[in-house]
Amino acid sequence: MSVRKLLTEVFHLDLLGGLWQTARFTMTRKATVPYPEKRLDPTPRFRGMFGFSEERCIVCRACERACPIRIIYIDGHLEEVEVDGKKRKKQVLDRYDIDVKRCMFCGLCQEACPTTPKAIWLTTKTYELATYERDLSLYFRKDRLQSWEGVVAYPGVVAPADGQTPDDPGGTGGKERG
Amino acid sequence: MSTDLHLIQSMPDSEEMEVSFGPQHPATHGVLRVMVRLDGERILDARPIIGYLHRGTEKLFETMYYNGCVPHTDRLDYTTAAANNQAFVGAVEKLMGVTIPPRAAWIRMMLAEMQRLASHIIWLATHALDIGAMSPFFYTFQERETILDLFEEYCGARLTLNAMRVGGQPLDLPEGWTDRLRVFVDQLPDRIAEWERLLTDNRIWKGRTVGVGVISAADAVNWGLTGPPLRGSGVRWDVRKALPYEGYDQVEFDVPIGQNGDTYDRYLVRMEEMRQSLRILRQCLDRQPDGPVMAKVPKVIKPPKGEVYHSVEGPKGELGFYVVSDGSTQPYRLHVRPSSFINLQVLPELVRGHLVADLIAVIGTLDIVLGEIDR
Amino acid sequence: MTNPWVVYLLVPMVKIVVILGAITLAAAYLSYFERRLVGFLQIRLGPNRVGWQGVLQPIADALKLFSKEDIIPTRAEKLVYLSGPVLIIVPALVVFSVIPFGPPTNLFGLLPQAIPPYLTDINVSVLFVLGVSSFGIYGIILGGWASNNKFSLMGGLRSAAQLISYEVPMGFAIVAVLLMAGSLSLVSIVEAQRQAHVWYVFPGFVAFFIYFICGVAETNRNPFDLPEAEAELVAGFHTEYSGMKFAFYFLAEYANMVVVSSMATVLFFGGWLRPFPSWGWLGFLDVVPPVVWFLAKVAAFLYCYIWFRGTFPRVRFDQLMALGWKVFLPVSLANLMVIGTLIVLFGGGR
Repeated sequence: MSVRKLLTEVFHLDLLGGLWQTARFTMTRKATVPYPEKRLDPTPRFRGMFGFSEERCIVCRACERACPIRIIYIDGHLEEVEVDGKKRKKQVLDRYDIDVKRCMFCGLCQEACPTTPKAIWLTTKTYELATYERDLSLYFRKDRLQSWEGVVAYPGVVAPADGQTPDDPGGTGGKERG
Repeated sequence: MSTDLHLIQSMPDSEEMEVSFGPQHPATHGVLRVMVRLDGERILDARPIIGYLHRGTEKLFETMYYNGCVPHTDRLDYTTAAANNQAFVGAVEKLMGVTIPPRAAWIRMMLAEMQRLASHIIWLATHALDIGAMSPFFYTFQERETILDLFEEYCGARLTLNAMRVGGQPLDLPEGWTDRLRVFVDQLPDRIAEWERLLTDNRIWKGRTVGVGVISAADAVNWGLTGPPLRGSGVRWDVRKALPYEGYDQVEFDVPIGQNGDTYDRYLVRMEEMRQSLRILRQCLDRQPDGPVMAKVPKVIKPPKGEVYHSVEGPKGELGFYVVSDGSTQPYRLHVRPSSFINLQVLPELVRGHLVADLIAVIGTLDIVLGEIDR
Repeated sequence: MTNPWVVYLLVPMVKIVVILGAITLAAAYLSYFERRLVGFLQIRLGPNRVGWQGVLQPIADALKLFSKEDIIPTRAEKLVYLSGPVLIIVPALVVFSVIPFGPPTNLFGLLPQAIPPYLTDINVSVLFVLGVSSFGIYGIILGGWASNNKFSLMGGLRSAAQLISYEVPMGFAIVAVLLMAGSLSLVSIVEAQRQAHVWYVFPGFVAFFIYFICGVAETNRNPFDLPEAEAELVAGFHTEYSGMKFAFYFLAEYANMVVVSSMATVLFFGGWLRPFPSWGWLGFLDVVPPVVWFLAKVAAFLYCYIWFRGTFPRVRFDQLMALGWKVFLPVSLANLMVIGTLIVLFGGGR
């Protein structure tokens, strides 16, 4: 056994490299984001809470069919409406509910939506979905999906800005987060 | 090892003790339960008990449209969502006879290799943590965050990607994504070197891994091991080379193998695989084919009657999907060949005669995820 | 100052209260600094929410532990189970009665005469420290056994084996110092280093190295934290302990770290002496009070403890034994012979 090997064996010199490495990491910048004070902005395609627009919805139920776990409930009825002086039959939305607590945010409903811009989209950049009342807060009816009333109390759940669509996810403003 | 065991069992005054490791044990990677028969610290027998995370995914698939299955494949092995997506859509495409456009294949390859990196990073982090080195966990997760950020930028999710569809890719790459990926690919080799400095030559690490959980090449093949546990024993088998899918026949990469089939070799194999993945990513970044990302497929996927098996080289081993179609919009039967499940079988063989601490090291080196084992 | 009530009762009582309070607080804050430093080492921030930069964290932890439900497992051996935390905390604190924190001082003229800032200086204090700190193992073994938990039992047994194997090379490493100093009193050992014009770490580096590694092993700290190896034994011997009983184990572990660091300082780094105590031109260093020198050296050792924890994987049980018996024991014996020979040859032997 050479002297060098003996020294290494007794004094554990092979471990010094690791100690040096961790000492260097001690000096580097920390990766922690102090969360409630500083928040990371999700990317434009980030799939968060739903946005829904009743005007754009044509009640085709593509999203209902596309949902793998069937948490979208749609009811509608035919109604005669006057468009440009002609009477036409048109589907009117009665019910548009999403059972968000079961949702896995796969985004297939948004993908299935045939309207332009989309009537349902998940790119609202909202991700703080914790609530105290699970049935009330995470079972969204269409008015709440549209207006987000009652949800603003939970920090971070913000209403989608006007004109915000998946194709123009930045919207027209009002999306700055602290 | 077997003679060793014989000696222990023949000891007249040995007092055996049965210990239930898990399902709530800090080092069994989720809800694995191992019933261990111990003589002092030495393991006489270990019996894995699974099923605590069973969700009936294979049955669930039968009730879903083909594209609706994709988000559920994310949840099989939640650390390798892209590979699961890739295997599933690959199987359905094979059944339908669809060839995906080159740009879609290119995106898929990049996602799969990034996912391999992310999965190996998680493996390294938890393996090192199990063996008692807590710091690599944080160093490695910092790099994994970058991969997840890129995933989020591409498909909107970080973990459960749902990033592939039958017939191609749902989205094209966002502006500047490849540049950010290139920055990451360029900086990761330095990081890997840093992690290796903490572990590879460290005598404590070597002491805990060299000669632990040895399996010979023949045994590894007989047990049906795939992925790094197989290659660590010196069998050069990689689905990407053997049965190339997507663009893997157009890129150059090596399949690293080990020699002794012990935990340390599997560690080295995975570390080298990370470098090879970077090599593939670099070649992908130089290529950048143009064109559509979606082949011409109907909106409602309706594969012809028939059955098909398609497998990809997932980060943890061969990941296969066996799809039986009756010509309707939903699979008639869908079976998953999970890599973790089959790799886990060998656990009792690997730990018999070792110490309790080695059990943890071997569970770590098999790189199991209970979501995939229990399905 | 000759009133025996003052000399034999009041002064020691005040010292006991001060030392106990200081050590308990130091152990609690050591946990804070450990978490902070390990955090920095792992590119994160560590606890920084309670108070400015989290400095009130130990107090919040203590409040939490006080208010937690006190669980005694149904099938535990109740008396032994309850005595475990007591058996470990008492020796850990008693040891501090002989640790010399500094030379006699009159606190900048506040006191009528200089009094030593340590409780007592008995002429076998090295033996006292070794003996009493080893006694703490009973708390671990009995606590692990009485919990009626297999993980705890294995943790306790590991701890016993670990302590016995590392006590031996540690003892031999200390004997090297005793040969050089010619005394078993810690105060005399420090004074001997002043007279020898050198800290004993320079002639006895091997002894110091072995002492410190064995100290890490004896206090069950990473990379030798097998009795409480989180990945294998959940939490080892204190798996079933909660609330203040757990806090006692926790405090004792940190107090033992301070003991090992203090002993390393006293035996090898000249205790309260400034660096190179005989070099006159370094006299300006004397403005720093001796107690501060002592504490600074102890803090350096404690930093090493934390640094090790953030860096190394955990060794396996058989490797731990092999390291103790096959490497450190022969090396410490050889070191002892070398030092003894040198002392005889060069007429040390003060």
